[in-house]
Amino acid sequence: MKTLTKADLESLARQQGEGKEWIRVQLDTGGIAAGAETVFAELSRVRDEMKLALPILRVGSVGYSFADPVVEVKCAGMPRILYGRITPELAGRIVREHVVNKRLLDEYVIATRRRSLKLDGPVTQILVRDTGADLGNKTEFFQFSLLEEIKRRGLTERVQVVRAYDMGVYDEGVAVQLLPSGVTYVNVLAQDVARIVAESVVGGRVLDDLLWKESDRQVRVVLRNCGEIDPDSLDDYLRNAQGYQALKRVLCDEKPGFAIAELKTSGLRGRGGAGFPTWMKWQLTGAQKADQRYVICNGDEGDPGAFMDRSVLESDPHSVLEGMIIAAHAMGCSRGYFYIRAEYPKAVERVERAIAQARAAGLLGDNILGSGFSFDAKIRLGAGAFVCGEETALIASIEGRRGSPSPRPPYPSVRGLWQKPTAINNVETLANVPAIVLRGGAWYAQNGTEKSKGTKVFAVTGKVKNAQLVEVPMGTTLRQIVYDICGGVLDDKDIKAVQTGGPSGGVIPDKHLDTPVSYETLQQLGSIMGSGGMLVMDKNDSMVEVAKFYLRFCVDESCGKCAPCRIGGYQMLQILDRISRGRGSADDITALRRICTAMQKASLCGLGQTAPNPVLSTLRYFEEEYKAFIEGGPSYARKISRAQAGEASKETAKAVATP
Amino acid sequence: MTSAPTHPVDDRDPTPVELANCDEATLLGMLDKMEQRHGFVPREISEEISRLVQLRLERIERIRGKLDSTIRRDVQTHVAHWSNEEGNLIMILHAIQNQHGYVPREVAMELSRELGVPLARIYEVITFYHYFKLQPPAKHNVVVCNGTACYLKGSLELLNELRSRLGISEGQTTADRHIHLDVVRCIGCCGMSPALVVDGKTYGRVKTSEVGGILDSVKKQEAKP
Repeated sequence: MKTLTKADLESLARQQGEGKEWIRVQLDTGGIAAGAETVFAELSRVRDEMKLALPILRVGSVGYSFADPVVEVKCAGMPRILYGRITPELAGRIVREHVVNKRLLDEYVIATRRRSLKLDGPVTQILVRDTGADLGNKTEFFQFSLLEEIKRRGLTERVQVVRAYDMGVYDEGVAVQLLPSGVTYVNVLAQDVARIVAESVVGGRVLDDLLWKESDRQVRVVLRNCGEIDPDSLDDYLRNAQGYQALKRVLCDEKPGFAIAELKTSGLRGRGGAGFPTWMKWQLTGAQKADQRYVICNGDEGDPGAFMDRSVLESDPHSVLEGMIIAAHAMGCSRGYFYIRAEYPKAVERVERAIAQARAAGLLGDNILGSGFSFDAKIRLGAGAFVCGEETALIASIEGRRGSPSPRPPYPSVRGLWQKPTAINNVETLANVPAIVLRGGAWYAQNGTEKSKGTKVFAVTGKVKNAQLVEVPMGTTLRQIVYDICGGVLDDKDIKAVQTGGPSGGVIPDKHLDTPVSYETLQQLGSIMGSGGMLVMDKNDSMVEVAKFYLRFCVDESCGKCAPCRIGGYQMLQILDRISRGRGSADDITALRRICTAMQKASLCGLGQTAPNPVLSTLRYFEEEYKAFIEGGPSYARKISRAQAGEASKETAKAVATP
Repeated sequence: MTSAPTHPVDDRDPTPVELANCDEATLLGMLDKMEQRHGFVPREISEEISRLVQLRLERIERIRGKLDSTIRRDVQTHVAHWSNEEGNLIMILHAIQNQHGYVPREVAMELSRELGVPLARIYEVITFYHYFKLQPPAKHNVVVCNGTACYLKGSLELLNELRSRLGISEGQTTADRHIHLDVVRCIGCCGMSPALVVDGKTYGRVKTSEVGGILDSVKKQEAKP
């Protein structure tokens, strides 16, 4: 590729727009594990067999892990359709039925979240699905009655009725979506079928009483390009995602200090967990006198159950790289490192390719875009040590040593990598930067709460119906995330708690589910934001076991340098083990609390200081479970916890019944 | 007269030609018999054996020398590739592990000489990081994801099933070095929990009852050469 110039980027900014027809296969680690590669091969094979010119594209993941492998289809005269859980057999059917015959496949469509309130244009497809608790029971009946009604009016040729796989609306009875506009009706009853067909399909009017008016709670800033572009193609990023326009703006159009000023307005805080204001970190690092400064992208996503960094690196590596170059320019760094887990080979491969492409296009190297600014980035692999997510340990690891943390201060922004000022930013933070620079800090700050601005990506997993990546404005409540976006708890059980922040975080019980999520509120509840893992637990999950699981993780990962963490963690694990076997004594809870305090106060780094969080927060909200284990043993404790959850659900049922 | 027997017979001492063709086990058996027969091993035979052993040792030495030089060459290429980088040790170890599947002791020693870094420092790094292995990998790797999502959805039951079927626990290899069982923190496929990775292929939403079938498919690969 030839070197890009400022003029090239300016002409690219004017010619936006994507191809008219394509099939996109979402090939990230999750998708590939579910068989997306074979789906891709089968799609290509059938396309060639049918001699079609349709391009089949590789893209990253949109975040719907529950539906992997995901395939998106756009072809002339049809709305964009997302299909989930596609097998190779279905891939062949997509080409034959959807692309050639223009008929949607039954049962695999994921309804669009871009819901509309207006019908713009005639209805061509109707999606239907029962979203109530007794999932799927009435779907067939409604599909049948809609079909009958459409047949009666002689519209069979024009309108297709399809059962959807997921509607994006939950617990709202039977939901119906009219395509291509995306008007969605909920709580549809049998008598509404005739009205929908008469008024909306024939008459083109929206039925206001059935209309689902809530817009999608998700706001995609970090994930803006995920699933939309080919992560292996710089060209796609440049053409279809306003790629490197933010960099051009910073380097060529604006005064120095522009990026930091915009970030200050945006209120962006570090997305790695601690929430330190990003602009301040950059300013501190840039203000140090030094001949060399470094910028590091922390992609050592070690929290079990968190996969947003991996997803962003795999689906949109150029955005993170662009963010890093902007950061380097703001601070005057000439070298940058991506520190990525070796367990994420796909992410490493794609970032490596992105760096090579950017270097070939002159976006890395000497005199970038003719601005006189020079910068280069490299990859360093992690090697499976959770503590290396801690910044001083991460620096030690890049230097080629054991990842033992060292005391702070001096902070890395003063003395970091090879004793030079260093700014360490999380993947998600850097992915936010190009969007903020391009659209302005004020635009970003529209979302969020007073102190926590913008959006945050969460990986919602565990006992939840639709495990997926979710990007919501700060201040969205946990209940909205779990129930409105992810569809609630698996098998419609009662939720017991949500765990945030991984092994350094804590549990938040169901009574606090209406708390708006922000750095401060989560901390008040005894948990942390962390990198954004969100684990949903139902009434069958024992909190003592969960605390033990996380603590064992921290004990295994403790580097052993300081005594509170090394010895304290081990002793706590022994006590928890005793309790979970039913051999605990009444003093154990006091002992646990004392060790927790000691670890929090005396540990050297974040790992030891936060390792007691899972124990403390379960003790805070679920002490009776610990007591049940101590008093009656494991089977008794399980019975008690189930009974309690049962009572709670009965109470809520009563409350609902008597308004 | 019949043709000379090609294998040593029980009632007489073996000829030098027969000795040269023996493997170690047969040789040991013959020595026992000779001791029974004579009460000692005849001098000409013991000299012949020691000459053969000497020959074999020399051959092994030659092979080892060749191995050493390949190791040296390999290590030198890895080091040359990263020589301009500060803090390159971990990246070189990654390259070595990718090549061998683990970090062999000989290679680590050679690396220590090449970099001028004490062996203890290299081992300090290798043993700190979970990713680096000191044991050769087995033919097949079965890895259970024990991320939180998988844990909640029953990865422990999967692990127990595997333990009882293979007769080993995590971190161990079966006696025939065919299957290595391990546990990882999180493979990032939380949408498909609980997950198993067998030789790089991920199985999602695995039920305990499916474990047997997955192991059988590994064994089937074994049957196909």
